[in-house]
Amino acid sequence: MSGRLCRRLLRLGCPASSAGSWSRLSGAGLNGTGRPGAGRSGLSGGGRMNVFSREMKQRQKDWAAQLQDSQQYDYLREEVGRQVADRVYDIARTFPLALDIGGGRSHIAEHLSKEVVERFCLTDVSQQSLRRRRPSEIPTHCVLADEEFLPFKENTFDLVVSSLALHWINDLPGALRQIHQVLKPDGVFIGAMVGGETLYELRCSLQLAETEREGGFSPHISPYTAVTDLGNLLGQAGFNMLTVDIDDIQVHYPGIMEVMTDLQGMGESNCAWNRKSLLHRDTILAAAAIYKEMYGSEDGSIPATFEILYMIGWKPHESQAKPAKRGSATVSFGDLSKISRPSSTDQP
Amino acid sequence: MSGSNVWSRTREKMRLFPELFAQCANEAAVYGKCVAATTTGTQELRKDLCAKEFEALKICFTNAAKKRAR
Repeated sequence: MSGRLCRRLLRLGCPASSAGSWSRLSGAGLNGTGRPGAGRSGLSGGGRMNVFSREMKQRQKDWAAQLQDSQQYDYLREEVGRQVADRVYDIARTFPLALDIGGGRSHIAEHLSKEVVERFCLTDVSQQSLRRRRPSEIPTHCVLADEEFLPFKENTFDLVVSSLALHWINDLPGALRQIHQVLKPDGVFIGAMVGGETLYELRCSLQLAETEREGGFSPHISPYTAVTDLGNLLGQAGFNMLTVDIDDIQVHYPGIMEVMTDLQGMGESNCAWNRKSLLHRDTILAAAAIYKEMYGSEDGSIPATFEILYMIGWKPHESQAKPAKRGSATVSFGDLSKISRPSSTDQP
Repeated sequence: MSGSNVWSRTREKMRLFPELFAQCANEAAVYGKCVAATTTGTQELRKDLCAKEFEALKICFTNAAKKRAR
């Protein structure tokens, strides 16, 4: 078992096919680095993307969950879980049944109370994570399920939450559509996923190091959804009244090895099909030097940026506010200048 | 797998990386500056563009490892 563990420390890339550049993804969903040779085919609702090996992700999550000191890698998930729970509290409703997709060790439910959510359902691909979930006062059912194949009937849940799990899903539009399906009308989906410019320092350092040392480079960081595409994705899945906001979390580490070890301990190792199974020691040394020189701060630590995208979407319902009909205006914008300021003589 | 095998020994060696790297801060800074200069300047980054600086860094690193092993 430890053999595979050692490999995993170095498994952060893909076969260096050519020195071609690997451009950021754009457009709806995750298109781009598919299997080698597939090229950058645009995706528009058709064909299933297969970027990540779900089986590998399950094994990585199982391994990370049964580490002795897995608690020390939880800081990111705790913070994001707390933020998602905050957003649940912002909605002045009680949810009889809630679902947590990719919940892992359940970092959201521990912040919620029985008044807000009455019953909770927690799903994850990794059985070891579910076994070691954090205690919460809400009665919880655990379901071993893949996020892309939710085994629930339509119109079941009032609330669906997801924290840091959507960025490993192959078919993100399809998964969002399934979430939309299992929600009851006037149900809400609150999600947090890693996106945009996350870990760009690590990505650039490894890219430059590999180019200088080996002559080409391969993707080591998984492709992320840009914040501009998130609105389109949610809209296409059928959600309305969307809210998307970004939170930048910068964590400082002593060096590049600590960054990679922590990512591995979180269960966030690379599991893309086109990952390289080996990172040369020269490349690691070069990347450490580049990371420190380009991004290091004065006290000797290096920052790693996590850009968390929070999204809220509602399943349509008649009670929700709709845009007013054309021609139903009763006042004109031209009257704005005629509004006189109220006198403030009686104000304290 | 239990006991000492090539994977556990390699992992142990990797654990020393931060300590050894800290002893070569100067060489690392020189190499880092050489590569970082290509991102701003007009010169494209090619293989072995900063080979000299990297050799110095590698020699410092291996010496630190030898001293540690003694």
